[in-house]
Amino acid sequence: MSSSTAAAVDAQIRQEVSTVRKNRIVLVAFLALATLMVFGAGYGYGAPAKKIRIAMLMASTIDDMAWSQSMYEGLKAVQKEMGADKLEFVTSERMGNPVDAGAAIRQYADQGFDIIIAHGAQYQSVLMELAPDFPKTTFAYGTGFTTAPNIFAYDPQAQEGAYLLGMVAALMSKTGVVGIVGPVESGDAIKYNYGFQQGVAAGNPNVKVRIAYTGSFGDIVGAGELAKVHMDAKADVLTGSSQQAVGAARAVAERSGVYWMSTDMDQASLAPDHVLAAQVYHWEKVVKDMINYRAQGILGGKHLTLTFADGTLELRFNPKLTNKIPKAVLDRVEKAKQDIISGKLKVELPKAGGK
Amino acid sequence: MATISSQGIIVGILATGIRLAAPFLYASLGEMFAQRSGVFNLGLEGIMMMGAFAGFMTSLGTGSPWLGVLAAIGVGAALGLLMAFISVTMQAEQGISGIGLHMFCWGLSGLLFRVYLGFITSCKGFGPWNIPVLSKIPFLGPVLFQHNWMVYFSLLLVPVSWFVLYRTTWGLKVRAVGTTPQAADTLGVNVNAIRYQCVVLGGAMAGLAGAFLTVGQANMYADNITAGRGFIAVALVYFGRWSPVGILLGSLLFSMMNALQLWIQVLGISFPYEFAVILPYVMTIAALAVAVRRVWAPTALGKPFRREAG
Repeated sequence: MSSSTAAAVDAQIRQEVSTVRKNRIVLVAFLALATLMVFGAGYGYGAPAKKIRIAMLMASTIDDMAWSQSMYEGLKAVQKEMGADKLEFVTSERMGNPVDAGAAIRQYADQGFDIIIAHGAQYQSVLMELAPDFPKTTFAYGTGFTTAPNIFAYDPQAQEGAYLLGMVAALMSKTGVVGIVGPVESGDAIKYNYGFQQGVAAGNPNVKVRIAYTGSFGDIVGAGELAKVHMDAKADVLTGSSQQAVGAARAVAERSGVYWMSTDMDQASLAPDHVLAAQVYHWEKVVKDMINYRAQGILGGKHLTLTFADGTLELRFNPKLTNKIPKAVLDRVEKAKQDIISGKLKVELPKAGGK
Repeated sequence: MATISSQGIIVGILATGIRLAAPFLYASLGEMFAQRSGVFNLGLEGIMMMGAFAGFMTSLGTGSPWLGVLAAIGVGAALGLLMAFISVTMQAEQGISGIGLHMFCWGLSGLLFRVYLGFITSCKGFGPWNIPVLSKIPFLGPVLFQHNWMVYFSLLLVPVSWFVLYRTTWGLKVRAVGTTPQAADTLGVNVNAIRYQCVVLGGAMAGLAGAFLTVGQANMYADNITAGRGFIAVALVYFGRWSPVGILLGSLLFSMMNALQLWIQVLGISFPYEFAVILPYVMTIAALAVAVRRVWAPTALGKPFRREAG
């Protein structure tokens, strides 16, 4: 073979290799883009093995000012504490459809995420189905209590703060009617409403609690309309849980002399002159507990609660409106809070179906 | 405990029902024109989302809900133009392209919200405007005349739409294009131009419907704010048999049932809430099944116009 032929063959091979490379680059770029589009920004390849990787799925968005945002803020706080090189987390929003959620959970597990948080009671069955396929992955969901060897169930004791908020509501109501704008009668909402009713009864047994549901976790317009109906029917203190409730809080802000009690997050920024008090969830401890258990080789099987006793639930009064609440009321609520913490006061849960 | 009279409850139900009907009236009357001209736009839900977002952002940025309404109409019309281009000029399958438009708008509204704001906040909206004298009439006053202007305007559009559709040359052309496009074409009517106008009008009104949700009702914005109302609006066009009066009746039936179930729940009447929540849907389906024996529809609905095919 003459040297010129060899050079030609060589050139041709180089060219082919370069074409293959180019194609590969295009393919890799395409895949990377597709992955980014599906999983959102923040996901990096080749993360060091020691880094803990958490994926979170939610039905709404990270800025819903309620249930999902509270967990997102918790993850952010833990990341800040541990450092971004030690903890990486990604989120998938709008996963209300269980089929989409199942597919996303499976993909995260395939990609080797350590902890996959499916943030909602509705994800329990899909996790129970998927978890045995990924025995090394930790899964978590809530509100719930049913666990599996690699599934944690987390469970804010929403009734505790609800009791305190209900007490404030009963003592502050002038019309003697308080209204609840519920989402769907399940999980967190049942516990919250049950606790709120007990708090109202403890505060003033003559005050009536009216409970209604929008039938949706996310319909803020519907929640606003339900709140208007509550107010038209003379309720002057309102509350409600899940992300739809922000619509009700906003509707309350339109009328004078009506107050809103917020839960999951402090919604005072939405209605600064109407949010009297809030029950705030601090998810940091739950996230850290899961990380620590995992470090000890415990991948699941624990029922993790958020309570006033361990500081993961907080009662926050709106500083702008505290002067509107009589000292005697504040004192009574504070005493009830201390009794809840010491265990002297036990807020009941519904006997059946209270998950 | 403060109590309310039974008349107060009835007034409450009727007034709530009329307020709840407004977004359906806007979206359905607009969609009626599009469908009358032969194009059904299933992207209504998405256009409403974008209208809601545009109305909210503009009101938040400028402090004027009026500008918000204008922005929503503009965005709705632009998306209507896009739908018209896809379905009239490109002659795409309308069901699929409508769903595509919906998904595009859902994604886009979420993305823009994240990019430009990224947190839930409230904006300035329209307060009620009690019509002088009329709002003082017992019973009728609080039911009909103590709403914000967008509610009155939505009701006003019913006779206006009726007049435009049945008593103007343009309305005649719209009806001709939707039933016998070939004949209309022979008579010198520009079929595609009429369809463009109707779909753009439908888009603008869907944008207005979206703006009602943000600056007329909720005074805030959150992801997926329409929550299926756009699809209900499309169904109401069928329910109302493509007539403004039918659409008014359908919208009122649906909204009154919704108001009734809210009041049933709030008054603590022992009734499972799950059934209360589905009541408006069940009633609408039942009324549709009973009332519509012979289903009339614009005969060219869903069929792109091709001159050579005629």
